[in-house]
Amino acid sequence: MPVDDIKPTRSGLLLVRRRMALAERIHRLLAMKLDGMMLELIRLTEQAARERRELDEKYAGAQEMMAVAAMMEGATGVLLAALSVETSPTYTTGYKNVFGVRLPDLEPVMVKKTLAQRGYGILGTSSVIDDAADAYEDLLMAIITSAELEGGVKRLLDDIERTRRRVNALKFKVIPDLTETLRFIENQRDEMERQERTRLRRIKKIKEKRAGTL
Amino acid sequence: MPPTGLISPSCIYACTRFRVRRTTLLPREEYLRIMRMSIPEVVAHLGRREYGQELMDLAHDFAGAQLIEEAVNRNLAQSFRHAIAIAPGDLQTLTGEYLNRWDIANIMAILRGTVHDIPRQQVRDLLIPAGEVDSALLDRLLGFTTCNEVIEALKDWRLYPVLAEYYRTCGEQGIFARIENELYRQYYAGLLDPGTFGCSGCQELIAYLRFEIDITNMRNLVRLHCAEEACDLTVIDQTMIPGGRIPIAFFRRLYGIETEGEFVNVFLQTDIVPVLAQAVRELRQDAGFSSVDAAELVWQRWHQHRRPIHEIEIAVTRIRLHHLESLSRRHPFSVLPVLAYLERKKYEVFNLRAIARGKAFDLPPERIWQYIVL
Repeated sequence: MPVDDIKPTRSGLLLVRRRMALAERIHRLLAMKLDGMMLELIRLTEQAARERRELDEKYAGAQEMMAVAAMMEGATGVLLAALSVETSPTYTTGYKNVFGVRLPDLEPVMVKKTLAQRGYGILGTSSVIDDAADAYEDLLMAIITSAELEGGVKRLLDDIERTRRRVNALKFKVIPDLTETLRFIENQRDEMERQERTRLRRIKKIKEKRAGTL
Repeated sequence: MPPTGLISPSCIYACTRFRVRRTTLLPREEYLRIMRMSIPEVVAHLGRREYGQELMDLAHDFAGAQLIEEAVNRNLAQSFRHAIAIAPGDLQTLTGEYLNRWDIANIMAILRGTVHDIPRQQVRDLLIPAGEVDSALLDRLLGFTTCNEVIEALKDWRLYPVLAEYYRTCGEQGIFARIENELYRQYYAGLLDPGTFGCSGCQELIAYLRFEIDITNMRNLVRLHCAEEACDLTVIDQTMIPGGRIPIAFFRRLYGIETEGEFVNVFLQTDIVPVLAQAVRELRQDAGFSSVDAAELVWQRWHQHRRPIHEIEIAVTRIRLHHLESLSRRHPFSVLPVLAYLERKKYEVFNLRAIARGKAFDLPPERIWQYIVL
């Protein structure tokens, strides 16, 4: 029922009071959720920043290993080893629930491989190929972890924004409006009560006057 | 090949040619000059030497470091095929046998390309036809759509029996790695074949190959030990090359050792240690680096599950090559000068490739220099 349609009656007053209590409760819960999400955001952001730094380091390391591998085995040797890959690395997507927000949960599949799983023969390659493969597997793992964390940060930020709008709407619009309505109803009811009392006094006086003339 | 003392004129002629060809390879000063050049300058410089034709042929398809790598690879293939052509009799057979490792790499690339449906041109660019299987046959193999057809067409190849024995289902998980390992094992078995023992310099060649096998086995054992999960002994048996001076049982024993004292004591018994110590001495300019230090260095890497240091691997290769060259000087009319030339040529190409790639990745010259084998 819109606030404007509420009549300044006792039932109207009770209705507004109930709504007011509900709005305050929601506001309190949403504010707590917002605080929790902010803490989670700070934690995730720090972790994401740390992972991003690690990713940068691993990328530089992988580039360097690739340079060494290309120097020792040639681009041809590296490509021949890459040609041996039998199962491409991938990931599975899932979700984890944090304060009702669905954060991405990425699980690497066949990213870190054993020597046997890489597909190349040990006798046809050298240890520099292992090092380059290790470096790129670590890089892929870091990319997946970083993507998961940064995706989580983005979703959390979106939800924080939405929740903040709700909290602000409750705090600066809904609760003040309800307070206003409550005051209006109370004023109206006071006014009505005064009018009623005045009317009763007037009737009483008229009755006393009539009784005096008789 | 006739036994020592009865060297045929054709052998003397061929060995002399190879010694002369050895002198045409790039000297140390030339590398120092190339190290100061940019990639376009290196291309221009190599264009004025024996790589000019290959650079001209490939210039419209490739550029920069890729052009240098493709051109030197093509030149290597041509040089090796020419070496097979000019070597007489048993020298030719041995040279062919020695260059068979290039065929293994090419054929494995074709098989993998066929299974994974890689564009033929992409696979073609990876092939270096430096062995007995020539470009025409490789092109024909590239035209096939199934592995069965490829293997059928290789019936005349000397390692065909291994392919036929190990190949079961095209695309079976891990089968290519097993085939590749077995091909290399068979390749070394062929080189160490007792039938070649009678030739001039063959005893020394076999000793050299056995030492190369020991180093390869030790390097691969460290690689296996670096894996996160321990491998079983059958994997060690499958990946170790038999025929070295160090028996495979020794590597199996070494794999299980987890205490420093025992490892160092056992490792000091191998003939790898003195060479390793010499390599580190030369690399670090540290005259006091002893065999025990070398064994402890290997232990540290072993204990931390870390792979060999690449710069030390290169330093060991340098020593190995010097050893081969000194052998070739002691036996001037044998298979050794041929192999010394082939190895030197191979490392000239590897050096040029390392310089080009190092420059392309903007690595400092001092770092690149550590990967040069002279």
